[in-house]
Amino acid sequence: MADLLIVLALTLVVAAATAAVFTRNPARQALVLALLGLALAVVFTVLQSPDVALSQLAVGSALTPLMLLLAVRKVRGRGRHDGRAREPR
Amino acid sequence: MNGWLVAAATLLVLGVGPALWGAATGPVRRRVVAQNLATLLVCLVMLLLAQGYARPAYIDLGLVLSVLGPAGTLVYARLLADELAAVPPTARVARAMTTLSVAAPPLVLPLCVVTGPGRSLAKLLVIGALLMAGNTVSGRAMAGGAHLQRETHDG
Repeated sequence: MADLLIVLALTLVVAAATAAVFTRNPARQALVLALLGLALAVVFTVLQSPDVALSQLAVGSALTPLMLLLAVRKVRGRGRHDGRAREPR
Repeated sequence: MNGWLVAAATLLVLGVGPALWGAATGPVRRRVVAQNLATLLVCLVMLLLAQGYARPAYIDLGLVLSVLGPAGTLVYARLLADELAAVPPTARVARAMTTLSVAAPPLVLPLCVVTGPGRSLAKLLVIGALLMAGNTVSGRAMAGGAHLQRETHDG
């Protein structure tokens, strides 16, 4: 019965990871990845390691999506810029 | 397995599961709200786990999450502003965010009562206030940011 929480948290991780794989748009994937980070933090807490969960929270729910979104923004901005430069006048 | 752990498991199944579904499907505005909801729910799950395992130190996880969660939502509202402006959040989304900000403190209250006076109680009160303020601010940012974008597009 005590393992129920571990099983539930692991199921959530599997579901979140599968959803992240099947989300093709990187900007939307960032949101699912944030949830994956949260689920992993719950797993670590349930396994009695709050220190790992603490760092997982900071990295998984905030830093990874932020870096992903910034990268997407930069790539898109560059693409738009190049497209404009290549336009025939 | 005591009542607090059962409550945490229930919240995981009935709360975080649907939030995951909401974040994985649908328009961007729904995904952002679902992610915000998941942050709030996992924060509450952490508090319940701290009570269930009788380890007050675990409350720090909830404290960190209550600070990081709304900050993350603000980041999404800012960086996904273009997509949010293309499909602006409806009044329903704004109402959902307001409901979230009001719903958090009543859920923290039973924990406060059980904890009793002390350091943990102060932490719990801070977490409740942070959740309420954070959800209010991020809800306003989502609605307001999209609104501003639309005005600049029109003008």
